[in-house]
Amino acid sequence: MDAKTMIDSLSSQFTGTIYDVSVESDIRIIAKVKPENVKDICRYLKDKLSFGHLCCEFAVDYPNRNEIEVVYVIGSYDHPVVLTLKAILPRDNPEIESVVPVYWNANWYERETYELFGVKYLNHPDLRPLVLPREMLGEWPLRKDYKGFPNKTARNLV
Amino acid sequence: MAEVKAVTPNNKEDMPEEIPGVMTTSSSAISDFLKKTKAQDLINWGRKNSLWFTVNAMGCCGVELLSTGMAHYDTDRFGIIPRNSPRHADVLIISGYVTKKYLPALQRIWDQMPAPKWVICFGDCAISGGPFYESYSTAQNIDEIFPVDVYVPGCPPRCEALIQAFVELQQKIAAKKDKGTEY
Repeated sequence: MDAKTMIDSLSSQFTGTIYDVSVESDIRIIAKVKPENVKDICRYLKDKLSFGHLCCEFAVDYPNRNEIEVVYVIGSYDHPVVLTLKAILPRDNPEIESVVPVYWNANWYERETYELFGVKYLNHPDLRPLVLPREMLGEWPLRKDYKGFPNKTARNLV
Repeated sequence: MAEVKAVTPNNKEDMPEEIPGVMTTSSSAISDFLKKTKAQDLINWGRKNSLWFTVNAMGCCGVELLSTGMAHYDTDRFGIIPRNSPRHADVLIISGYVTKKYLPALQRIWDQMPAPKWVICFGDCAISGGPFYESYSTAQNIDEIFPVDVYVPGCPPRCEALIQAFVELQQKIAAKKDKGTEY
């Protein structure tokens, strides 16, 4: 099964929830998904198209478009295709369904993304703080408009 | 994380009860007196020749720190021995970036070390932040938090640079210019 037939199977199964599909090469697909369907799509990818490996999950902040993109990079052990899914969320209230029931290793990715970007994962089993010190929780430091950078630094250099 | 209590060794209330036949004191009058005499030179000679350091490898520089303590460089001949417990150590080597999350643990190590004690800033990250300059997650200006005696620039510095830092620290102790002891 090559990239073209995969994406055809996916778009016919989820009509309207997958859009802006581009097949970059034989092994690269990029698609945008509706946030509320991401778990069903991941379930279908894992069960039917043998995309068994969630390589990474992270977020990208676009303050000009007032959007936060959650990006899923999903690979496979059976074929060379790497699929990039992007879900676009509003910046004021980013909420998305958790994919931990499908890909268990998304657990820590989602905890980290929640801390650094403030993307709220619904039905996540355990959304505890992971990386940040306690006093920085809720500051979302990887958002582009974060202001808490130290400005009195490196006095030894100057 | 457990709460770190402030250490107040010179507080009368913290002193243990009277031990029969043993004189206990909370004053540092003897060491204050010795600091003014020639005996301090002898004490400093002893101190500078047994600078044991803590093994807390905090970043990539930690690899250099570890190999300095191993057989190839043989720092035991200078009395520089790696110790795994901060209670045995005299020198704290800040060998990497200090994140805001790690800083309480590092301060706790520093509090656990018995005086006299010294600090070496090892590597660019510890001195100024290095590539983590103005990062949201690192604590800046470590020299305001710890009394740093020697800075070792480099990314990472070589093991010879660390030995050089120890030699400079020995010279500072011999000259009574170190920040670890108050003269």
